[in-house]
Amino acid sequence: MDLSKKVFVLGIDGAPQTLLSEYAEQGVMPNLKNILSGGYSLIQMDASIPDVSSTSWASFMTGVNPGEHGIYGFMELLPNTYRLAFPNYASIKAPALWDIIGGTSGARASTLADKFKGRVPNTLRSIVINMPETFPAPALNGVLTSGFVCPDLRKGTYPESAYEYLRSINYIMDIEASNASDKPDAFFDEALIALQKRAEAFMHFMDNERWDLFIGVVTETDRLHHFFFDAARDKTHKYHERFVFFYTKMDDIIGRVFERFMASTNGRGLFMTMSDHGFAPIRKEVYLNRLFVEKGLLTLDPVREYFEQVGAGSKAFVMDPGRIYLNYEGRYPGGAVPARDRGAVLSEIKSILIDLKDSDGNAVIKRVYDGTELYSGNESGRSPDLVAVGNDGFDIKGNIKKPQAFGTSHFRGMHTRHDAHCVMPSGTAPLGRLHIENLASIILERFI
Amino acid sequence: MDHLTALENKSIFIIREAYFRFRNIAMLWSVGKDSTTLLWLVRKAFFGVVPFPVIHIDTTYKFPEMYRFRDEYAKKWGLNLIVGRNEGQVEAGMGPGKGTKLDCCNELKTNALKQIIEKNGFKALLLGIRRDEHGIRAKERVFSPRDENFKWDYENQPAELWDQYKSTAAEDNHFRVHPILHMTELDIWKYMKKENIPLTELYVSKNGKRYRSIGCAPCCSPIDSTASNVDEIIAELESTHTSERAGRAQDKEDAYTMQKLRSLGYM
Repeated sequence: MDLSKKVFVLGIDGAPQTLLSEYAEQGVMPNLKNILSGGYSLIQMDASIPDVSSTSWASFMTGVNPGEHGIYGFMELLPNTYRLAFPNYASIKAPALWDIIGGTSGARASTLADKFKGRVPNTLRSIVINMPETFPAPALNGVLTSGFVCPDLRKGTYPESAYEYLRSINYIMDIEASNASDKPDAFFDEALIALQKRAEAFMHFMDNERWDLFIGVVTETDRLHHFFFDAARDKTHKYHERFVFFYTKMDDIIGRVFERFMASTNGRGLFMTMSDHGFAPIRKEVYLNRLFVEKGLLTLDPVREYFEQVGAGSKAFVMDPGRIYLNYEGRYPGGAVPARDRGAVLSEIKSILIDLKDSDGNAVIKRVYDGTELYSGNESGRSPDLVAVGNDGFDIKGNIKKPQAFGTSHFRGMHTRHDAHCVMPSGTAPLGRLHIENLASIILERFI
Repeated sequence: MDHLTALENKSIFIIREAYFRFRNIAMLWSVGKDSTTLLWLVRKAFFGVVPFPVIHIDTTYKFPEMYRFRDEYAKKWGLNLIVGRNEGQVEAGMGPGKGTKLDCCNELKTNALKQIIEKNGFKALLLGIRRDEHGIRAKERVFSPRDENFKWDYENQPAELWDQYKSTAAEDNHFRVHPILHMTELDIWKYMKKENIPLTELYVSKNGKRYRSIGCAPCCSPIDSTASNVDEIIAELESTHTSERAGRAQDKEDAYTMQKLRSLGYM
């Protein structure tokens, strides 16, 4: 057996390249530093747009853009309504890495799958642990347990024997994020336990299953960042030590899986760590729906729930994180924008967003992307019309109930698009800036 | 006696028992496959004539195919059809978009039925529920008492050994009678095939999807399926592992997902 044809990917949700680099230098993460000095590079990577976990992980696992895989966020509206729906694995239209190498793509196709058709085997086994946006678990050639959002571990795990194992170790699907503000110590404790359970599961499946591709994901980093990213660098912060301690534990796991993987492949397997987006401290949360109300683009009916509040005559509304949808005639029950007005309404919105400043005069929006320039593929018809990406510090929100356009809350960290990371053998990355959609190709090349 | 005939005999026995003991009864017909099978059995039990009213609770949100089917067979089978609608709430605009789904079900289904029972003084209602539908239904009795608030006290139920059914209750109680409680989803399909019972086209595949369970249109999702006739549905069910109400079970998962997303600042 060719030991070089094995790939291990450790996903670290929301781990920024800049922070990992500092922690490696400062001695918080000695194992990472050791790996980097042994021929690996820590590369800053772009996440998907929008830089939300469901979209970015779907881009990672399929290697194609949201216009092909169809995941634009954690929620969508049901066709011809304003009713919320939550896309899950069944909504992903492109085959994932494990489908392409495991022969389980079925009727799903993608540009990536076409590119590797006949060039990689279709009999390879994958182990996928805690991968977001994979609920309910598909019947793959291998083992999978779904990550965020996974409402039911049994339905989120394939096969049944893997579920029995996870239950036997009291595996934690997701920690209780609502503890973060009122019971921070319990929150940190649970995050550490969940991290240990993930590591235990990684080791178990590494040793006890036959596999070619292993993807293990840690999501506790993202949770910690949402509530305590301000503690990451601030030594005077009450929770700085606990935050750093969590990263030392993360580093232990990086070291352990790296050594185990290298020992089992005689140093020839492809090892990678990566994240789905970066993080930055929040200065202000920005509620674009409220801004749209103030600018006369949106009316709301407060007796209704969520997006059913969108009033007749509204021109546009925003869904998390910065997805802007025009309220088209014929597409929504209260649609008011005829297709011929598209250009005019889009430029009106763009200019409002580009001019947006906070009370201190800082520009809020880094860039407004046109859906048609970002996305291509069969699913691009459902894409947002615009996506607003904030400058670091300005967390763009789709909340529809806020009374002001700017606010603060108990959240301390926001996702960033430009500061995701990837650790891989030096010289592996393509030229130019690395994008999360590139990783799937790099992985598949290994199996040729 | 073969399996399906044994099931049929048991159902007919229960139906006749209920009519004999209570007399002032009615049956609920949702137009779904189970209650249509029940209606078929009732017709058999009384030699083609249904001797009591058949109630259809109309939330106004049912599929158009269901209304068509209801009207066609109510006429064909000479039914005394009572259509129950909570008019006050329907006029007030109650629906899945207003209030929670629970409010909607409560007003348009439960309260609509309460109004009918009150008006007609029914002592018992025949229902087409089955034990294998849902965990909690496994605890059901064939003759199941309800109090005036429709409450089912599942911790305090009469024993039903050797087909002895209890049919006396406090004055303001009524009984739910479940003649097909002992049948499974697969039994129903096999029996429908054997008897050639008509069903709405929603159950068979159209563009790769079909409904496995039907109710109000906004709250039902079809499943992926190519089964285009009863034989293919039976073959599909014999090889499936997902639950019948999976298309209707989204609410619980959605509630969990919403809570999780909210705790991370989405929505």
